[in-house]
Amino acid sequence: MPTQNESPEPQETGGVRKHQRILQEVVEEEEESTPELSLDWMGDNLEWGVKVEPGRKGLTLGSLNVGIYGDIPEYHEGRTRSLRGAHPGVERAFIANITLRHKRELWADNAADLYEEAIQKRWVPATDIPWDTIEPLPDDVERAMCQLCTELCQQANVEYETVAGWLQQMSYAYHEVKVFLASEVFDAARHFDVFRKRALSNGGGLGLESRAEVDRVILQSNNDWTSTSLFLHLFRGSFTQTLYRYGELFAHNPAEKAMFARCLQDKARHLTYSLAHIKYSFSEQPRKERVFHRVLDIAETQMVRDLKDPVLPESLGVILGNGVEGVRTGMRKVGNLLGDFVRTYLQNARYVGLDRSERLAEGLAVYRDM
Amino acid sequence: MPNTTVSAGPGVTYDENYEPKLDWMESRGEWGMTAKPGKHGLTLEDIQMDSYGDAPESSSIRSGRQRGSAARDWSYRSGAYYVSSKQDVWLKNAGGLYEEALQRQWSSATDIPWDKLEPLPDDLERAACQFTTFLSDIEFVAADIPGRWVSTISPDYLETRMFLMTQMMDEARHLDVFRKRALSNGGGLMRSSDDTMGGGVVSIDMARDFSEMSARVHVIGESPVLTIFRTGELLAKNEAEKRMYRLAAQDESRHVAFGIMHMRYIGQTEPERREEMQTYLDEGEEYLFSASAVGAGTDRASTESMAVLLGGGKDKVDEGWRLLMAINRRQMREWVQRVKSAGFEDRFTSGRAHPEVLKLLRN
Repeated sequence: MPTQNESPEPQETGGVRKHQRILQEVVEEEEESTPELSLDWMGDNLEWGVKVEPGRKGLTLGSLNVGIYGDIPEYHEGRTRSLRGAHPGVERAFIANITLRHKRELWADNAADLYEEAIQKRWVPATDIPWDTIEPLPDDVERAMCQLCTELCQQANVEYETVAGWLQQMSYAYHEVKVFLASEVFDAARHFDVFRKRALSNGGGLGLESRAEVDRVILQSNNDWTSTSLFLHLFRGSFTQTLYRYGELFAHNPAEKAMFARCLQDKARHLTYSLAHIKYSFSEQPRKERVFHRVLDIAETQMVRDLKDPVLPESLGVILGNGVEGVRTGMRKVGNLLGDFVRTYLQNARYVGLDRSERLAEGLAVYRDM
Repeated sequence: MPNTTVSAGPGVTYDENYEPKLDWMESRGEWGMTAKPGKHGLTLEDIQMDSYGDAPESSSIRSGRQRGSAARDWSYRSGAYYVSSKQDVWLKNAGGLYEEALQRQWSSATDIPWDKLEPLPDDLERAACQFTTFLSDIEFVAADIPGRWVSTISPDYLETRMFLMTQMMDEARHLDVFRKRALSNGGGLMRSSDDTMGGGVVSIDMARDFSEMSARVHVIGESPVLTIFRTGELLAKNEAEKRMYRLAAQDESRHVAFGIMHMRYIGQTEPERREEMQTYLDEGEEYLFSASAVGAGTDRASTESMAVLLGGGKDKVDEGWRLLMAINRRQMREWVQRVKSAGFEDRFTSGRAHPEVLKLLRN
């Protein structure tokens, strides 16, 4: 890798040699006197004798949830970074800004499995996309592709800024969610990376920044994580997922196809977590129906405002119509895309227990049957 | 239930009757970019071309606009980017560290030969579990804290942000792998870290400046842990544990490299901050090399567990302690090497460094 010549840290090799060197150091050093060791920690354990074996998918995080280690508390009192199931030891200061301590605020049963899947399905924009298959496109199509990539970079940017900001507030009792969301941040970084690379590799460049109406409410949704997840995953995620689907379907070359297909796979994971979490959270607090609906009211309103800005729809129209000449055909397909988004979104909302059929914003309802 | 939200109105209908204006086609960033993949694929370095490669000394971005894209006439100031100076966050080749992190991702589920674990005598298993509880306990702090900074750094410094996000992933895996070790060989989690203030001066959490945070997390926090991981051959009792430490060391060395290179950048570009940096190093040495901090910092249970593991049992802690002291000296030596690499070697020649470090250098 390019960094190696400049990195102050050498590569990790030659463990045995290092071992021998350290032993040599011991021989060379003067005799050290051993202080009195209490070893009192040897009895500090809440459950002993745990021997989880690797299964077909290796030793997975979810498989560790046995005995007390699998007891997910409804509420976690501590605001330290102590691990679930560890002996508490001495009293520690509340150093962390941990505000999410109720299971219902963040939990999803599938988080551990999704985390492992994220790792197994990892990919690298630099080397897993066949960049050499990119070929020059007509100028109008290239401009439209670059505009789409600019929009998708900005969507990824909102995603990682939002999730990374919340992570520190989540209790360590729910480490499965924390590590899964770390993988989502990592995915979003990769999405930003791959779309920027696409925009800068085929004779084009970045386009115009987003109108950012939905972006704004996602970033400002700091009341509770579930609301953020409604904005970011259930609503925006359904839209981004649709854009990726169409991107893959209408890709101009294998590089673009691979790029959208990989991102789509990642996005499906983020949505899967979110749907499980929101459904669970809602089932635990049905009185929040009004709040959750209100969040989606706002999201829809902002989306309608976003759509009044023609930049993204028109750029999609040029891509789907294969150029400015075919833009009318392309705009019909944009209508179909928005219809697919609206139906996916409504279906996802219904899955978590929120029927939006009578509440859908007028500016989106028009696409429901397209 | 009525929809009480202010309506955005009927919106625009996009279908075949829509009349496109297409005026956005002329609003764009610099055009004609043709980045080509090199030997390592298409890297962030490869796309640092012309205006897209210029991270400005001072960033004026308040929206989520990306470096090099065209700005709108107006945009919401929804980005809370109070870190808007290049000097505050920059280093040479953060993009390279990001790409390396992507190439070197690994899976704790499948890349560790868990079937090589073998039952250990009870005292050794308890020591292994205590030590991995400690590591699992401390590692994710280095995800929580960088995560907090990602959304406060201007998008103009995207390479730094991208690296921090790889670190979050790495630390998730570290929390995960050490928990797996503790729960897979007949043991269990042991005592939580008894570092009551969370490490270092006041706490590793509290830094309000990015460079101070980086000094605490990447240099002071991760440097001694990296040395421990590198000496994992001594702590490990089987191939699974050896591999676990080797892979974790690979990740940790990137994080330390980030901190050292950022510190080097500050030393070179902001000489007026050198004294501030030296103070962080003073605090770090005081924390790392005081008499009560051996091996696993001030966490007594974990330090003792290292002695048991290194010696090969609770009745061989004398030998274990000797090895632990050797590791401690190695932590100091590597610390000195890193601080020199960051460009702050004068603390060792001027006598400013911690007495224990100076003693080591004299010998």
